[in-house]
Amino acid sequence: MTDVIGEHVFRQFLASLEPAMRLAGPVRDGKIVEFREGAPEDFVLDDSVSYKAPKEFYFPQVERLITFQDGEAESEPEPRPVAVTGARPCDLEALRVMRAVFLNGRYKDPFFEQRQARGLVIGLACDARKPGCFCDALGLDMKFSDFCDILLERARGEGAFKVTHLSGRGAEALAKFPGTADVKPAPARVGVTRGRALGLDLGRGEKEFFGLIDWEDAAAACQGCGMCTYICPTCHCFEFRDVTENGVTGRYRCWDSCMFPRFTLHASGHNPRASRAARYRQRVLHKYLYVAQNTGHIACTGCGRCVRSCPVGINIKSIVESLTEAEK
Amino acid sequence: MSFESQEKSLRELCESLLRDGKVKSVAGFGPQSPDTGLSPPLIAKTAGNAKRLSWNSRCVPSIARYLIGRDGPAAIAAKPCDARAVASLVTERQLERKDVFIIGMECAGMTDGSGAPLRACAECGTRRAPVCDAEITGAPETARGTRDAAEDFSPERFRREMDKCILCFSCRQACYGCYCETCFMDRGVPSWQSARPDVGAKMTYHLGRAMHLAGRCVECGACENVCASGVDARYLIRAATVFVEEEYGFRAGMDAQTPSALLTFKSDDPETGFWKDGKHD
Ligand code: SF4
Ligand code: SF4
Ligand code: SF4
Ligand code: SF4
Ligand code: SF4
Repeated sequence: MTDVIGEHVFRQFLASLEPAMRLAGPVRDGKIVEFREGAPEDFVLDDSVSYKAPKEFYFPQVERLITFQDGEAESEPEPRPVAVTGARPCDLEALRVMRAVFLNGRYKDPFFEQRQARGLVIGLACDARKPGCFCDALGLDMKFSDFCDILLERARGEGAFKVTHLSGRGAEALAKFPGTADVKPAPARVGVTRGRALGLDLGRGEKEFFGLIDWEDAAAACQGCGMCTYICPTCHCFEFRDVTENGVTGRYRCWDSCMFPRFTLHASGHNPRASRAARYRQRVLHKYLYVAQNTGHIACTGCGRCVRSCPVGINIKSIVESLTEAEK
Repeated sequence: MSFESQEKSLRELCESLLRDGKVKSVAGFGPQSPDTGLSPPLIAKTAGNAKRLSWNSRCVPSIARYLIGRDGPAAIAAKPCDARAVASLVTERQLERKDVFIIGMECAGMTDGSGAPLRACAECGTRRAPVCDAEITGAPETARGTRDAAEDFSPERFRREMDKCILCFSCRQACYGCYCETCFMDRGVPSWQSARPDVGAKMTYHLGRAMHLAGRCVECGACENVCASGVDARYLIRAATVFVEEEYGFRAGMDAQTPSALLTFKSDDPETGFWKDGKHD
């Protein structure tokens, strides 16, 4: 088969995408692995998983949308498109959810759309589940997602990848580089089947979920940090901030989190989600119920990041399972 | 002598405290997670639930903050750093001493997921709670060191750490001492952080927090243990802690009476640190 490509050659292919594209991939820095812009030789393409998702390349933590100066308003020029290498199937499925949220509703988000339309997504199949991963329980395939342009699977013990393409853009990019010109499309495959959300009956009304379990108890240890939001591949909440410096005003879009008390604080001082338990309940139900109602996608892909990183060991999977259990 | 024997004594003690109505709840640690090995915080309110209290080398979280605002007397299965945190919270009037029953757990030091000692624990020389109402000894022997003397305070290092930070505020939320209802970082008037969470905001936050923890930090390492981004900003706080120790002879939470250096005003304070070469710095 010609579709097994040496790692070295594949990294050369990545380098050939420059300078038209910026390159991003998982980089190791001390204890952590995170997606950063960098050189292909720095990307860690083994089976270690980044502590936070690569969503920031489509939905940055801080982005300037508009600049106001001397009575004129200008939108920001788009930087060069980015090729993200090493996104896991759970990250890819999360991008599908993000896309539904940002583009399928009444208002389309042009910033997100542009980045997705012009960039290249190169997925990396997992060799094994990592502690905390539960993609399988949600019906994902840890070795496959079609929501990418090119998919890599590590060929066993060879320092090589099995490479396939899943989009015209992927095929075109590979064809331009001699070493990857023969790569074939991924074999036709039943798309990812997402089953019921860990057995949860989504037909149930919101208020019923409120009473199913003792949320105070479930979230008793929660410290209300925003870690789980910031590292999650599907969390997509933001707020706007205007900053004026030296007579120039920028309107920024910044990540926000429903775990922060200010998230729903009204100007009157009233807060409809005044307790941590109410906020944690929002996190779970937004992922498993509300986004599913609005877009048809469950907004958790079982990537396990919040399970691994929550400083007090709160486990969304066990909490959803306790809901399912309580439904019986 | 082992974690198991300490755990057994702890459960027995807490069951009787709850059964006899001496306390309404016990803050401690629950069974280890099969995914991460972490023992999450557990608030036991019944004798039955006290049977789930666990004690092992992964009782990492700092738990004193769970006592704030609890109604009725509560017990805490306290690592020495948790006990120091409780004592400090008493001096800062966040807790009433009579409302807290401190169970001092002799501590062998906590480990990360791979079994390596956590940095703060490796530095910590305190095996036993300086303040407690009951003590459960018998922790395994472990080699423990002292604080690193040499630190790199270069702007480059600071910048490197700040670049990793994602401003999730997990470190603040984990810290026993960061109990302010509205953190300076969340204040609108005046606004201390640039409205945009950029590197300047991160620096403001970490420097501000270091100042607020000067002489209040109990060196539990919670802020660095919770950081998924692998940021080390505790070296800033450590510097402030060492300064207060050397200049004012004060270590936070070593007893439940002495108010912290930050809460003490002395008219003859030499104000070292504010002055340099006889001038205001
Ligand atoms: S669930 Fe965990 S990570 Fe999320 S806000 Fe609560 S303590 Fe932080
Ligand atoms: S909720 Fe947790 S497991 Fe689910 S996608 Fe987000 S970070 Fe991953
Ligand atoms: S509401 Fe909360 S859980 Fe849902 S996307 Fe926003 S931050 Fe994430
Ligand atoms: S959840 Fe884990 S095993 Fe599944 S695709 Fe993501 S990283 Fe791979
Ligand atoms: S240092 Fe770590 S825990 Fe603290 S705000 Fe930054 S990323 Fe979050």
